[in-house]
This record gives sequence, C-alpha cells and structure tokens, in this order.
Amino acid sequence: MAEVKTGSRTGPDQEDPAWSSGAEPFKIKVVEPIHRTSRAERERLIEKAGYNLFSLRSESVYIDLLTDSGTAAMSDSQWARLMLGDEAYAGSRSFYRLKDAVANVMGFPLVIPTHQGRAAENVLFTTMVNPGDVVPNNMHFDTTQAHVEHRGAEARNLVRPEAYDPVADVPFKGDIDLDSLEATLAGKKTRAGPKTGASPKTGVGSTGESIPLVLITVTCNSGGGQPVSMANLREAAGICRRHKVPLFLDAARFAENAYFIKIREPGFAGKPIREIVREMFSYVDGCTMSGKKDGLVNMGGFIALRSRALYERATVWAVLFEGFPTYGGLAGRDMEAMAQGLEEVVDEDYLAYRVGHVAYLGRRLKEAGVPIIEPVGGHAVYLDALRFLPGLPRERFPAQALAVELYVEGGVRGVEIGAVLAGRDPRTRENRFPELEMVRLAIPRRVYTRQHLDVVAETCRGVLARRETIGGLAFKKEPPVLRHFTATFKRI
Amino acid sequence: MIEPIKMTTRPGRQAEIERAGFNTFLLDSDKVYIDLLTDSGTSAMSDNQWAGMMLGDEAYAGSKNWHHLWDAVAEIYGFKYMCPTHQGRGAEHLISQILIRPGDYVPGNMYFTTTREHQERAGGTFVDIVIDIAHDAQAEHPFKGNVDLGKLEALIKKVGPDKIPYVSVAVTVNMAGGQPVSMANLRAVRELCDRYLRSDGQPIRILFDATRCVENAYFIQRREDGYKDKSLRVILREMMSYGDGCTMSGKKDNLVNIGGFAATNEKDVYDKLTQLVVVFEGMPTYGGLAGRDMEAMARGIYEMVDDDYMAFRIGQVQYLGQQLIDAGVPIVRPVGGHAVFLDARAFLDHVPQSEYPAQALAAALYLDSGVRGMERGNVSAGRGKDGKEHFPKLEMVRLTIPRRVYTDSHMDVVADSVIDLYERRKSISGFKMIYEPPQLRFFTARFEPVRREGFWGPGGRHS
Repeated sequence: MAEVKTGSRTGPDQEDPAWSSGAEPFKIKVVEPIHRTSRAERERLIEKAGYNLFSLRSESVYIDLLTDSGTAAMSDSQWARLMLGDEAYAGSRSFYRLKDAVANVMGFPLVIPTHQGRAAENVLFTTMVNPGDVVPNNMHFDTTQAHVEHRGAEARNLVRPEAYDPVADVPFKGDIDLDSLEATLAGKKTRAGPKTGASPKTGVGSTGESIPLVLITVTCNSGGGQPVSMANLREAAGICRRHKVPLFLDAARFAENAYFIKIREPGFAGKPIREIVREMFSYVDGCTMSGKKDGLVNMGGFIALRSRALYERATVWAVLFEGFPTYGGLAGRDMEAMAQGLEEVVDEDYLAYRVGHVAYLGRRLKEAGVPIIEPVGGHAVYLDALRFLPGLPRERFPAQALAVELYVEGGVRGVEIGAVLAGRDPRTRENRFPELEMVRLAIPRRVYTRQHLDVVAETCRGVLARRETIGGLAFKKEPPVLRHFTATFKRI
Repeated sequence: MIEPIKMTTRPGRQAEIERAGFNTFLLDSDKVYIDLLTDSGTSAMSDNQWAGMMLGDEAYAGSKNWHHLWDAVAEIYGFKYMCPTHQGRGAEHLISQILIRPGDYVPGNMYFTTTREHQERAGGTFVDIVIDIAHDAQAEHPFKGNVDLGKLEALIKKVGPDKIPYVSVAVTVNMAGGQPVSMANLRAVRELCDRYLRSDGQPIRILFDATRCVENAYFIQRREDGYKDKSLRVILREMMSYGDGCTMSGKKDNLVNIGGFAATNEKDVYDKLTQLVVVFEGMPTYGGLAGRDMEAMARGIYEMVDDDYMAFRIGQVQYLGQQLIDAGVPIVRPVGGHAVFLDARAFLDHVPQSEYPAQALAAALYLDSGVRGMERGNVSAGRGKDGKEHFPKLEMVRLTIPRRVYTDSHMDVVADSVIDLYERRKSISGFKMIYEPPQLRFFTARFEPVRREGFWGPGGRHS
C-alpha cells in the first residue's frame, strides 16, 4: 500500500482508499447466481410488495444492499472449518478454538458465545443494567437501545455534535464527546458507605444517576459507519477509570475502525492492524460482538471479558437465553467459522480492499452528482434523500420513495433510514421527522465486485436524472409498531 | 461423512476425570469416546441437508429458506404461522413473555429446567399435571407422560380459565425419561380446555413443547389402538390439531445442529412474536438463524416423519435399553424415545442420596469406558429457598442417544461397560461436593470420591 497521509483531511480527493488498493485480495470459488429482472417486472413486483422493500422476496432483488450483517461471503478456510464443527454440548473443541482466536486477536481471556450480537447485548445488560440506570454510548444502535430500554434504563447518546451534520468532513466523526462523558460520570451516584446498608450496585442513598457501564460503538453505525479515534478511546477509558465505571466496546466493526485509525490518525500509519486492534481493546473491560459483521460469518456473536466474577454472573443468563456457555446458541461449526473469520478480518490487504470498496461507491456517486453523507464510512454509503429530492415534502417520505425508485430503476435494494423508520410520537401520534432522511446502501463483505457497484452508481444516476417525476408515497396500511417492516404504500 | 473419535486409555481417563472434578460436563469433548451427554444438536445431518446448507440465502429480508421453513411447518405440523428462533429456549422465552402475566398459572406435564425458568421469569407459576405414575422409575405404563385430567380440571376450577394463559403439553416428556403422551389423552385435554372458556370467549389455549413430537407419534403408532396402519405424518398432524401452537427445538426431532421455532394458529400471537423476536433473536424472517440453517431445518422436518427412520431411531434406543434390562440393570421403565435412564439409587443402593449416586455413577462410567452420560438427580435438582437439597425421587444417569450418529456396535460398548460396572457396583464410592456454584450447580460443580481407593477399583474390560 502507498504511504498515506495522516493528517485530519479525509476527503476522497486526498489519500483516497477508493483508489489506493488494487484488485480484491481473493478470487471467487463458489458462486450464487442472481437474476436481473426487467423494469416492467420490477414495477409489478414492487407494487405487489406494497412499495416496501422488506416485503420483496430476495430472488426478486438483483443487488441486495439491505444490510452488511450476516451477508458476508465466507472463505474456503471458513467453509472447511464448518466441516470441523464439534457439536458436543459441553467442552466442544470448536469453543476452545473460538476462545483462542478471541484471546489472540482481541486480548480477552474469557468469552461467552451467543447466537448473534443482540443476544450478547441481552445477556450482558441483563447481568449489569438495572431499572433507572443510565447507559452512555457514542450512539446506540437501534437494537442496543432497545435492550437498554428493555431493562428499564436510559440509553444516552454522547457523540460529538458534528456526527449529526451530513457534510461535516471530520476524520473521526464517531468520537464520544469527552466533556459530556466527564460531566455525565461526575454526576453519577457515588457508592454508598457500608453504614447505609445500601447495595454498592445501585448506590441507593446518594443523589445522581446510576451508571453501570459506558459503551462505545466502533464504528459508529447509526452515525454512518464513522470511526472512533484511538486518542478518544484512550481518554474515554481514563475518564471511566477515574469514575470507576467499566467501559465496553460494541465491537461489531472493530477491524474497519482499526483501519481508519491506521490511515487517518497521526502515529499509526506504520503500525500493523493487529497491534492497533489490541491497543483499542486494551482500553476496555470487555465487548459485545456481532460476528455477522467483522467476524465474517453468517451467524454468530459473543461477549468477551476480563473479569471472572462478571463472567460467572453472565453465564447464568447465557444459559437461560442462549445455551450452555461452551456453545451459547451456536452450532460448533459456526464457532469454528467465526474463529477463522476473526483471524481473516485483521488482514491488512483485506481491510484496504473492504474500506476501499465502500469508498469507491462513494466516489462514483459523488462524481455523478448524487448527494451522500460525508465522509463515507466503513460499511455503507448513505444517500441524502432531502438533497436528492429537494422538492418533496417530508410527509411523502422522500427516503422511502428514493429506495423504491432505486429498486425499480436497477433492481438495487437499499434501506430507508428516515421518517418511516422513526415512526410516530407515542403521545401525539404525529409522524417523527428525524434530522437526517437517508437511504443506506450497505455493502456485504467479499460478495459484490466493482462492476456491481458501478451498476449501483448508474442506478442512482438514472434516478437522479428523472427525480422531478418522483411524487413520493403515502401509507396504504400502517401497522401500529415497527411499521417499516410491514407497512404498505401507494404512489402519489 | 465420518468424524474420527479417539479410543482413550484408562490412565488418560483417570487423569481427565480428576481434572474435571468428577463432573462429566467439565470434560473436553476430545477426551470422550462415546458422547451420550445429550441428543440436542448432536444429530448427523443427511446429504440432502448438507446440500441445503450450500443453498443458504443469507438475505436479511425475504430469504427463500424462510419460505421453505414456513411451508414445511405448515405442511408437516399444520400450524398457520411460524417464527424461527436460534433454538428451543429462544422460542420458550418469546412465548412466555408474550402470553404469561404475573399471577398466572402454567400447567404442564412435568417441568423442564429452562422452560420453567422462563415461565417463572414472566411471573407465572408452574403446576405439575402429569399422572402420578410418571414419578415412579420402575412402573410400566405405555403412556407415562399423560396429563392427569383431574389435576388439570381441579386447577382450572380453582384459579379460573383467565389465569391460565396456556396448558403446556410436552410430547415426549423429557424429565420423565422421554415418555410419550397418548392421542386419546391429547384429545381429552382438548375437550376439557374447550369446555372452559376465557372471558374473551375463547377456550383455554394448548401449546405443545413439540421438541420430540415425532418420537411421541411413533409410540402412538406402536402402542395405541387404531394407529398401527397410520403414517407418522398423519399421526403428527392429528396430535398437533389438538393444540393452538408449539415451541420447537429443532436440535432434536428436526435433525439439525442449531435452530428452533415458535408456531401458532393465532394471528395476534404471531404479530406479537414478530415484534419481540426482533429484540432478542433477529428479524422475523431469520430469527437468529443463518439462511442455511433454516434450509437444513426445513429439510430435516420432512426427513423426521419418515417411518423407517423413526423405527431405526427408537429401535436403537430400545436396543440399548433391552440389553440392560436383560442383564438386570435397574433402568427407568419403559425405555423412552431419546435416552436410557439408569436408576442410580437402585444401581448404587449402598450410596446415600446425599452422596450423589448418579454423579458417582456417571463418573465411574466415563472412567470405565470413556462413555459420557449426564447426571439427572440430586445435583441437577439443586437447593430450595431454605438452602436444603431437594432429594428428587428420580436419581438418574441419562444416556442420551444422538440421532443417526452411533452404530449398534457403539451401543454394545455402552451396554458392556454399564453391565460390567453393575457387577462390581459395590466398589463405587459416593461423592462429596468440594465446589458448589450458586446457580445451576450441575454444570460446573466439582466433586471427590468419599473413598478414593475404592472408587478406582479394578480395571474395567476396556482398560
């Protein structure tokens, strides 16, 4: 790889991952055929699906950018290890291989496998979080927030303010705001003395908030896959240590984050990714992990920890929700594949390809004049629907309309992250209109080629050229909860 | 395709069982010769299932494997709606959270550990309604898992239909030794529940724990009048027709290594499932499973109702059981569908229950031949709120037979070892517990023989 500049500028015009990598560091070994449908067919299919992309059968989709979660192509080594799964309930060899991989890559001695990332959150939060608690995070992902709230606690986002600005070009837009973190922790409940008889966990008997842990999500998914800097992690860890609050990473995209540190943060250009990853994890007490992202698997997750006491408390819940602690709701073969995936994901050539691949789509879109969220993050490109369809009122759901048009135009499936997803205010029953109205194009790992991304870019350009004709959507049937999954619409 | 296993040596096993604190859960699997710890998730999949693994459609939404699974559940079980989960306890968790309100009662034909835990966490109280004879290890009864209709009706009259979110019927009953429920009994439970309407006008709901439902169907085919000429497919559909839904661990009868689902005929229950599954499992169209695992489970559902397969499956369990019965070894009678349960109290009648005879027997069996069973007795039952041990009536070692994995020759090795141990049973010492974890102690507790020299005894035939 060419030497990269390590300054604060990250735009595609300077050190540009989109062009810095060569061809993919892999070749294709097994294929899954996909079908290109005609525009007339797609018009019919999307009408039948009620203009909701979630309701499309996957075989009706040409290029599926709905999510990067669980959609990775595994390597031949991973498939080989699928055949080596030890399905023993207790003491499976495959568990020990996963444990070794987590120790080797992340540096944690203890691991509890779970069927995927949200299950790790469920087990960890049931163990640590109590009603009335506050859990700070740079930005909670939606399932993380749901689990915190399910425990009766408050999920509080403390990301730096630029994260909410679609065009602010900041290298580490996912950083947690250190002043806010300090202020939040300074105001927490102090541990009650033994005289009050209060449990130290809840700290009853003093004022302020109870904070069982602080989370930092790397990369910051809800902010567009934006990375967190090493300096930010280090300082956040210092603050947490001073206030005696454990710090955890939501580590789903830890390797992509490490790569951004390498190419953007002063002092890291010459360091191997494995060292950067180990340093990131050295600042925290543990992590939750969705293996479906940087574990390069279709199913799997885990909790990794240093504290044996916490491990033992968490295994009780793991048994109830997931499975015995040596399989945690996964087949032995899936633990094998994840162990192998963790070793593959910290390969520098792979990460250069991965981040470069996503940046490539971003660059093609910018060249075509398509408005996107900048800088481009690690796993997806986000179209800015408000700038894409400036004339369309928010009540006509511009991002949903744009996502539908991308499907009609080129068979590309993205996902709306805007007013449809945000739902209605529970009190007023009015639609909530979030600051950003976006279509996310998430790129599965090692699945599509640049030709596929060219089709995506062409598709976006095609829609842009006829954007005046797009009239938006209105609800035909609106379910009361989680409406984005099953709602139907009509075109205006 | 085969997976090599290692023939272990007696000195090696002695070192391993000591290292594991005489707890078979703490043995590493590569130190085990024949692993009968569980039948859950340990099946050998078929070539057809492995071919399906290559056809996994890992799309988050609208995966074709989900459609295949939906169709398989509709066709073979007959339920209208299906929501996948990562395994059976995931489905139990969702169903308990959706249906049980604090103060409710959940009647069931014997408890199962994780099931009861989820019911209690949701605020319900489990009420045992299995027939009394199920608690007697040696008593013969063709359908020892049957619901006691009198017990069920008494509960309904006492608390009223509105306090019973559902009757939980396990087919077969695991904790009773894999004992089946008869079709006549299922029909009678349905009729009873139909007579008591809730205030919304609906009869009391019946949900199956359908984990080993086809093994149950096989016993109906063999033992119940009028069913010997009916296929397992037909019998299973009739069984399921008496319920309103089920939870399923695909890791047993569905012949997969991971997977489960909840099924229902009620639209509003399904709607709630789709909302809650997103929080704990995954999107309703994958529920915490890879696409390939849904495909393998869909294919396993068609394979499990093959009459020849099931005759082989139950036949193998009976084959092991019959050898032990012929040799006079005390086991739970009749032999159930998925396991042979050694009656450890009768086996080691010189060891008081406070010295954990089932734990000692499981350790001695491993030491003798490298066979791993599971303690299901005083250690598993744990302690009550008063801190005292439960001393359950059934003190057993479960020898669970994985599906399609071991041959009858493996069963011979197991039988020889058990019979050999029985002949020199007096040399086996009881245990004392030297480490006791606060919860679910059977997983990680550590032990020592009360008489160390006696425990090692003379070498077994496989040494």
